[in-house]
Amino acid sequence: MPGPADAASAVVFRGAGKVYRRSHLGRVTETVGLAGLNLEIRRGEVFGLLGLNGSGKTTAIKLLMGLHLPTTGDVSVLGRRVPDVEVLARIGYAPEAAYLNRALTGRENLRLFATLSRIPGAEREARVARMMDRVGLGHAIDKRLAEYSKGMLQRASLAQALIHDPELVIMDEPITGLDPLAIKEVRALILWLKGKGKTVLFASHDISEVEKVCDRIAILSGGRLARAMTQDEWRGKDSLEAAFASSVTRTDGVGEIRLD
Amino acid sequence: METIKAVFDYTLREHIRHKVWLSGALFGLVLLTGGLVASALAQEERVRMLLDLGLAAIETIGLVSVVFLTVHLILQEIESRAVFLILTHPIRRSHYLLGRFLGTLAAVGAGMAAMGLVHWALVRLLGGAGDGSYLLAWSCSFGKVAVMGALSLLLSLTLTSEAAAMAFAVFLWVLGHFTAEMRFLAERSGNPLTRAALTAISHAVPDFAHFNARDAWHAGDLSVGWAAAAALYVLGYCAACLALSVQVFEQKEF
Repeated sequence: MPGPADAASAVVFRGAGKVYRRSHLGRVTETVGLAGLNLEIRRGEVFGLLGLNGSGKTTAIKLLMGLHLPTTGDVSVLGRRVPDVEVLARIGYAPEAAYLNRALTGRENLRLFATLSRIPGAEREARVARMMDRVGLGHAIDKRLAEYSKGMLQRASLAQALIHDPELVIMDEPITGLDPLAIKEVRALILWLKGKGKTVLFASHDISEVEKVCDRIAILSGGRLARAMTQDEWRGKDSLEAAFASSVTRTDGVGEIRLD
Repeated sequence: METIKAVFDYTLREHIRHKVWLSGALFGLVLLTGGLVASALAQEERVRMLLDLGLAAIETIGLVSVVFLTVHLILQEIESRAVFLILTHPIRRSHYLLGRFLGTLAAVGAGMAAMGLVHWALVRLLGGAGDGSYLLAWSCSFGKVAVMGALSLLLSLTLTSEAAAMAFAVFLWVLGHFTAEMRFLAERSGNPLTRAALTAISHAVPDFAHFNARDAWHAGDLSVGWAAAAALYVLGYCAACLALSVQVFEQKEF
């Protein structure tokens, strides 16, 4: 699955590993977040990253956003080796929860991210208003985020990820805790982004959603690439759920629920 | 520059909407109590007491505010994970840190300026503070606040525990008023190790002797050169603390 970083690659992990070291009272403990991941995501595709909790999905995303540094190997995004501040202008990131500053209004929040994303001052205000309208928050643009509901915050988070029209959109568990209507809208948004030629990286637990929107997927288990599949494969002989269940092993120390 | 300004703007807004107005209310309480005590004294004593009490209250409230706010400044954003979203945009970590620090300093400075205006008007009403000495005294307090803000930021990033950073900042603030005594002890010490340690500590901790306008006035040293040296000290100390903070922050993973 790994391929050279070329014009067709949006993201390339080359033997990327991450070991977390914690030191307490002189005792050092190590946890493997990611173990030599080799993976390529092509431009223009919707790529699903599947795995259990602690499988390495968020670590992989943090490596490519430059929030973590790889212990081994390297990661390239849109042709540039990360961490690289410049490439962040071409990426939109929507995390699992809306990590926004609740003291700001919707407009102030989006204006901040528009400025950080280098949108020229002359078009910034119009773009902010347009994006808030697009995510259905036009009526609440001047309300403080502290007054937003969970669903509204999730939309404000999506707005900051899309305000600068990024080439690569990374969504980490974007549908967790959303109602069915909101899930349907996120699904439509992902397909709309694909239609505009964007690359979407969609990390989720939800197999049924992933199989509806993704072109290819990778299943991570214990920080390793357990399996990679194309749409044709899971629509053919092997269902995605069965492939997932046979590929992953629990690493969180929790046993199965016994039904006897 | 635009990214620093964007971070500065939201930091200032955040502080104004959250906490900074509390310092004004506290100052009003101190002034009210001081005024009640002062009204029992003679005219000349009343002005002197009100002047000293007010300036001391402005400085203390400013220092408490800046230590509290800067210690929480980054740690709170890490805890709430708001820093995730900021740093996944094209902004250098040094710019983020500088914008946050300057925004906080501006918020505390605005609070101190508001308190200073009320206090100055009250003192003027009673016939005191007619010359420019009030502005100089206020500026010296702000200089101390700026230095303590930069130091607290560095401590918060180095120690990671908010309580430890605040306790250590208060300890260094107290120590900063005794740098001359530390150097005196270093000169008198027969042990070269103690001498070296005391000299090093006296230079590393903030030296608040640079902001003692009253002593400088009594010694006849008060001049534009003295003020420029104090301002340079503030800039130099803050720059050193911020440079070290950036070094620590660049290594952090979120």
